[in-house]
Amino acid sequence: MTAPTARKVAPTGPVPAPPPTQPDPFAEQHPARGILFLHALNPLAKLAGPLPFMIALVFTRGFAIPIAFIVLVMALLLIGARLPARGALALVVGTPIAVLVLGVTFGVWVDPSRIDEASAAASVVLMQIGEWQFTLAAYLVGLATSLRLAALLMLSLVAGLTSTGPEFVRAMVQNLRVPYRIGYTALAALRFVPRFGHELEVIRAAHRVRGTDTRRGPVAAVRRGIGYAIPLLASAIRHAERVALAMDARAFGAHATRTERTLSPWRVRDTVFVAAFWAIGVGVYWWALGSGLG
Amino acid sequence: MPDSPLLDLDRVRIRHDGASRATPDGVTLSIAAGEVVLVLGPSGCGKSTLALALDGLIPHAVPAELHGSVRIAGLDSRDHGVGALSEHVAMVFQDPDAQVVTGTLLDEVAFGPENQLVPVADVLVRAERALKLVGLWERRDENPDRLSGGGRQRLAIACALAMAAPVLVLDEPTANLDPAGIDEVYAVLRELASERDHAIVLIEHNLDAAVDIVDRVVVLDADGHLVIDGPARHVLRERAADLLELGVWLPVSTLAAMRLRDAGIAIDPLPLTPAELATALDAHAALPAPRSAIQVGTPAGDPAIRVRGLSVRRGGRRGPIVVHDVDLDVAAGEFVAIIGTNGAGKTSLLQAIGGVIPPPAGAVDVLGLDPARADARTLSRRIGFVFQNPEHQFVAHSVFGELELGLRVHGVPEADRTEAALRMLRRFGLEHLREQHPFLLSGGQKRRLSVGTALIAGAPVLALDEPTFGQDRERAAELLDMLRELNDEGTTVLVITHDLQLVADYATRVVVMQDGRILGTGPTADVLAGPLIDEAGLRHPPLARATRGLLNHPDWHGVSRMSQLPPVPEASA
Repeated sequence: MTAPTARKVAPTGPVPAPPPTQPDPFAEQHPARGILFLHALNPLAKLAGPLPFMIALVFTRGFAIPIAFIVLVMALLLIGARLPARGALALVVGTPIAVLVLGVTFGVWVDPSRIDEASAAASVVLMQIGEWQFTLAAYLVGLATSLRLAALLMLSLVAGLTSTGPEFVRAMVQNLRVPYRIGYTALAALRFVPRFGHELEVIRAAHRVRGTDTRRGPVAAVRRGIGYAIPLLASAIRHAERVALAMDARAFGAHATRTERTLSPWRVRDTVFVAAFWAIGVGVYWWALGSGLG
Repeated sequence: MPDSPLLDLDRVRIRHDGASRATPDGVTLSIAAGEVVLVLGPSGCGKSTLALALDGLIPHAVPAELHGSVRIAGLDSRDHGVGALSEHVAMVFQDPDAQVVTGTLLDEVAFGPENQLVPVADVLVRAERALKLVGLWERRDENPDRLSGGGRQRLAIACALAMAAPVLVLDEPTANLDPAGIDEVYAVLRELASERDHAIVLIEHNLDAAVDIVDRVVVLDADGHLVIDGPARHVLRERAADLLELGVWLPVSTLAAMRLRDAGIAIDPLPLTPAELATALDAHAALPAPRSAIQVGTPAGDPAIRVRGLSVRRGGRRGPIVVHDVDLDVAAGEFVAIIGTNGAGKTSLLQAIGGVIPPPAGAVDVLGLDPARADARTLSRRIGFVFQNPEHQFVAHSVFGELELGLRVHGVPEADRTEAALRMLRRFGLEHLREQHPFLLSGGQKRRLSVGTALIAGAPVLALDEPTFGQDRERAAELLDMLRELNDEGTTVLVITHDLQLVADYATRVVVMQDGRILGTGPTADVLAGPLIDEAGLRHPPLARATRGLLNHPDWHGVSRMSQLPPVPEASA
């Protein structure tokens, strides 16, 4: 191609960009400055650090370990991640509230036979409806469950809040040697989700307007769902085919590798982060189990 | 030009798997550097299929049988993969949404060269050059979703340019765009065509936009045979009658001039653009008076729709107000077009009238019924709503079932249901397809069925949301002809469309919207001749553009629809 002169031909009037109502999963991060070190780490490091403890938490009982992880990770996020003020507030204030409330929900469903009838907490009745009693003991069991869930969520936020979809794909392709055809196809597929959501809305409106199905109840709902699925699938397949053709036409998959414009290196600091995370995490378990709190 | 051809097609026949006949069928064609070639042909002649063969997607990515040979820069497309051929031919497709892969404009443009293993520095040079050429460099860090349709299609062109291929193939690049988007895309294409760096193969049905940038026209007939190949102006002027015969749409100005010739007004050569038509008309010292704009046979009947102080919010109680305090009256038997730029609130207004989104109670009255209070079933006897994509509305497994279901919910006895459904099938020319699954119909048939289902419950009012979107002029005109027939039979029609020439030729009244408000409303000819079109940021339809500036014929200034042109003198009587 001989060089076309770089000049603007298309009208570039003020194009109203829609307000950023929802987070953009594709937006590139700006380079992190100062202490916001989490953004400067390889996404895989941010995944590898918490992963063993996410698994371990599933098998953990008690309060101490989940609380320790929640507090530590929250501190890590507040120091190392770029959070908007409202996000930070939601994290610090919202997490304890959510844990306490969810504790009630889980506590209600606790199997009464698992509660030690002899304990002091079992005799403290928080609420009573007829024969049914909601005891402090049940609440504590529920609380432990909701704490574990919160700790799991918090650990997943380490990577989730500080890396984007494209960063993950790049790290998978470059560091884990996942074939780029899979990685970038997944990235393209991510774009489908909001599109299909919108399309489903239109289909539901279109069916509603026909007035052909006004029955109520679960059977009718399933039937309606199938009715929505057919046009949605038809359009999804057509859309996917078009995207695939457009990608093929742009040489996607033509070579075994592709040029990586942005490198995703594994640096010393990634190793340090993972090692430190593991050390502290193991330390938490060591301390809690050793002192009988786990 | 002495160069060896960039594209060389020899007796190309392509049959899609499952298709009974080959389209295109026996196309021999070669395209040299710097040529701008327009491929024309009626719907279904294989234009898009041909485009897919020009960069190897057929036979490599699309299940189809290719006979004959396609040589791209001397390489046989059968022996080389799409990846290798993409260095010679770049593609732009019709749907701007289905071409975006990554999250930012810059990544998007870099995607192709990266796949070609171009070094990073060169990728960036190419991306910057391509984005600057289409005027999107300043927005390189944004998500493509934030661009308008026209912006995304410009991005697709930039992506194709970044492939650094000497041939650019564009398959109906503006079919899914509104007029503003079409203008944006053609501003870029005009620039590319004038630079002569690329050979451009353009498949386009909107000849009014394309005609002044192409220099060669290739025409396929309905069977996919290549029938005409020659210089653009020569073909469009000298073979205009043949093209019409083949079912190819011509520029509006050319069609108008042909009608004027039939009416005894000498115009030679045939004009291709509104400016040329204006010059040709001004060259005449005197013209017969145009016909009056007032349409016969559209008596304004009783009020059918009454809208008072309607405001519509989108996306919940906190969402933005998209329709502000609108008043509108539509009389029974009217054919009303709602026009306006994207985001003017047309769809929201129509959906509130049709009960698709609930309007505030008391704001809308459709034949004595308030959509806010009525259930969908009752409402469907008053107003039928047709969505942009007909597939979205289908709920049954056969064409007949689709119509019959609409009656069953109203408790119509079975014998009457069958009879009414069969009548509707005949009415829309679908009786031979009664057991077909609705999704397996052709595009035009689907559209007719969706109108049939909207009308089957006996609704005297029909509302259609951009039914011509993504369709070529032939299909769009076919649909509008059908609507006119329904309108003549007494159905009140409300339609949203971007195509102002269709508005000019069919609607009796036009509602112009801007920023959620009705800017004005009036008889079609008055609106199109008045200032509302400019105020709303719209572009006049081609015929009006030609007649508005006439110096010698002020009485022609209001002419915007074909039917206003002087009548063809009756040969007999």
